[in-house]
Amino acid sequence: MSKFLQRSCRRSRVNFQRLRILFSSSSGFSSFLHKSWGNHSESHHVLTPSSWFWFASKYRHFSHSFPRETILVSTGSFAATELSTSDGLTVEGILANNWTILPENESDWKSHATALAQSIHVIKRRLQWKNLIVRCTLLSAELNKPDLWDDPVHAGKISREHGSLLGKMKEVNALEQELLEHIDMIKLAREEKDVELESDLLKALLNMRRNSKEKELEAMLSGEQDPCSCYIEVQAGAGGTESMDWAAMVMQMYKSWAQRRGYKVTVMDEMPGEIAGIKRATIKVDGEFAFGYAKAEIGVHRLVRISPFDSNKRRHTSFAAVAVIPILGNEASRVQINESDLRIERFRAGGAGGQHVNTTESAVRIIHIPTGVTATCQNERSQHQNKASAMAVLQSRLDQLEMARQAQFNAQHTQSLTDITWGNQIRSYVLHPYRMVKDVRTNYEVSDPDSVLNGDLDSFIFSYLSASLDKEEYDA
Amino acid sequence: MLKSCAVSRLCRPLCSSLSLSSPNSLCLKPQVPLFLRPPIYSTRLSDLRKWHDWAKSLASSIGSTFERLDNGPDSSHLCRELKWLMEDAVEDHSLLHQMGVESDRRVKTRADLEELYNLWKQRIEERRPFQYIVGCEHWRDLVLSVQEGVLIPRPETELIVDLVCDAVSKNEVLKGGIWADLGTGSGALAIGICKILGSGGRLIATDLSAAAVAVAAYNVQRYSLQDIIELREGSWFKPLDDVEGKLAGLVSNPPYIPSTDISGLQAEVSRHEPRLALDAGVDGMDALFHLCDGAVSFLKPGGFFAFETNGEKQCRALVDYMENNRSGSFCKLEIVPDFAGIQRFVTGYRRQAI
Ligand SMILES: C[S@@+](CC[C@H](N)C(=O)[O-])C[C@H]1O[C@@H](n2cnc3c(N)ncnc32)[C@H](O)[C@@H]1O
Repeated sequence: MSKFLQRSCRRSRVNFQRLRILFSSSSGFSSFLHKSWGNHSESHHVLTPSSWFWFASKYRHFSHSFPRETILVSTGSFAATELSTSDGLTVEGILANNWTILPENESDWKSHATALAQSIHVIKRRLQWKNLIVRCTLLSAELNKPDLWDDPVHAGKISREHGSLLGKMKEVNALEQELLEHIDMIKLAREEKDVELESDLLKALLNMRRNSKEKELEAMLSGEQDPCSCYIEVQAGAGGTESMDWAAMVMQMYKSWAQRRGYKVTVMDEMPGEIAGIKRATIKVDGEFAFGYAKAEIGVHRLVRISPFDSNKRRHTSFAAVAVIPILGNEASRVQINESDLRIERFRAGGAGGQHVNTTESAVRIIHIPTGVTATCQNERSQHQNKASAMAVLQSRLDQLEMARQAQFNAQHTQSLTDITWGNQIRSYVLHPYRMVKDVRTNYEVSDPDSVLNGDLDSFIFSYLSASLDKEEYDA
Repeated sequence: MLKSCAVSRLCRPLCSSLSLSSPNSLCLKPQVPLFLRPPIYSTRLSDLRKWHDWAKSLASSIGSTFERLDNGPDSSHLCRELKWLMEDAVEDHSLLHQMGVESDRRVKTRADLEELYNLWKQRIEERRPFQYIVGCEHWRDLVLSVQEGVLIPRPETELIVDLVCDAVSKNEVLKGGIWADLGTGSGALAIGICKILGSGGRLIATDLSAAAVAVAAYNVQRYSLQDIIELREGSWFKPLDDVEGKLAGLVSNPPYIPSTDISGLQAEVSRHEPRLALDAGVDGMDALFHLCDGAVSFLKPGGFFAFETNGEKQCRALVDYMENNRSGSFCKLEIVPDFAGIQRFVTGYRRQAI
């Protein structure tokens, strides 16, 4: 450690051993620090002496960092010691103070700290913090068994789950620790009457406050399948063209929603209606947390409007069912499909085929004989590609079936289109006589159906996800 | 055909500079598929939309007329083709979604609007096959250039590559030997199989049609397989003198349609595809019997073959012929159906010398 650093440490009356980091308002550097938080226990390695020095010479005030043994133990088990500032303030303590939360633009550390403490509280609740710790301890005990790898599949599963739980715990702890250290530093800055440092720290707190909202959201998506890409399927209800047109509108809504979120959308299969709309369609939505969000849409969507297909301009009610299937990223957890269990058919085949016909229709249907599960793809330009895509859909359907069988997965989120009963209505879209979209599960509603149908769905999705978490907690 | 052996040669150069000695191949210049042409035309989005709406209404007006007439495409097929034509013709696909919105914007296209009008007219009025319109066919994971004079590869034929894959995985030795695709057309089977054989493979593809050889050479070049696939112009086994008794594998999708059936085929096929690629004599078996005879002398013991046929009747006839007229020459004969459930392929092995 440089002399400069040592001297500065001694100069302060605050217990620097307990301080970990100094946040600057220099956004590049703070985001660098921020990233290193993700891997909390290692973060002291990330900050090389030279970067420290750079940092130290840029700002006159600093602390230095020591890993806090009380928090993370290298074996990955958790000591559930409560974190605190040097004068003993904890996150719970901050909440108990009942400081007022002011708008973000008010530079008041107590307000920022309270907002952050609340976020941490929400995140912990959403992650079911106590259960998480228990489960994590259980898993590490299992991981320490000498015969663990006798069953490699099981071992892989355990260590993956352990890794993911640990990751979440580290992240929350890092957030908590960061908050407390900032408070320490602010107090120090005040004692030292260092206005510049104080304002830097306040800015850093504000940044954290903003980011924590995103983290609250992510905490809602803590299911094993939530980070996966997914298929979204829409099927028209009874009622002919009217419903098929509605099904096409619903599909369009998801395409726009997915594009807004930056997901990649691919049409896998589409059965057009005779006059308008679709009978049924499947799209693939590629991207992080696609399933986690889209699962909120599973169920029946109802539309009330004056039908454009009714010359008498009567009001019609139409239904469309939505199913969402996760695409498991982890090969090991996927169902093994036996080639000999498959029947592959040319979809809508007829006639002599071969050299007799020239057609651009090369759709393929694959039937998994033991389960009767099928998948069709007709949107690719070659039969081979249609078959590959249909196979991918079939694989995910079978995976989903297996998850449902093992019931390790919220039963509602494994419903396939065939399971969804038309009574299972989740949302109403009314275009006439008044205009409104209302989620019957959460009672969340908006008065602008057009924006919703254009893909502005996030508020519906978030309100459903948080409501279902609250419900889970209540049930528990 | 007389001097097909002399004519047979490696066909390496890119097709624009093809220098085959056969006189009619001199003028053969394979066309570049639409999707590979440079996007040098610019058109207003609103004009493109006008064309699209016109094309769509033309397609819709067909309803199921063609289907009733000769099992041709109905309007839903035609609409899908229109979508693909747009994809091939327009540089920036994302603009296609905005056709209705920002109509003042311009788009870059690979064919000018007038040509697009002509092409779609040909599609509907002349029943010119969609694949000739866009100059390509998506086949397995390949995009193959095709044009008049060359058969558009069929989805059924994709399965031959899977059959070869199975055979090769059962017996790795086959991978290292010489393979042949007779009547290669666009080169579809040759290219598909080479991807399975890998870099150590070697394949000779033949065709009697100079147009086919030229297009196949273009496709081979596009997939950088010119060091693995050798193209030879000539009739069936004639250009293969040097490999008699040495082939590890032999595949062919020869013409198999009985002469009298040709005129009754779907207009896209009967009016536009080369008769040489389809017509196989009175019972459609001429080429298949010939291939079968050649397989006896050209395959090495243990060598694999797969032929495509017109259906159950031809499969049976071929197997009968092999068992009775060429008894002792082949083993493990199998009839394999396509995805429509039609008995489509005959596969087997040249019997090992005892
Ligand atoms: C049905 S096409 C198959 C083309 C290609 N293999 C495919 O599957 O798409 C039959 C091919 O055999 C070729 N052919 C016809 N008679 C031939 C002959 N006597 N010798 C070699 N090729 C011939 C035709 O030119 C045509 O390309």
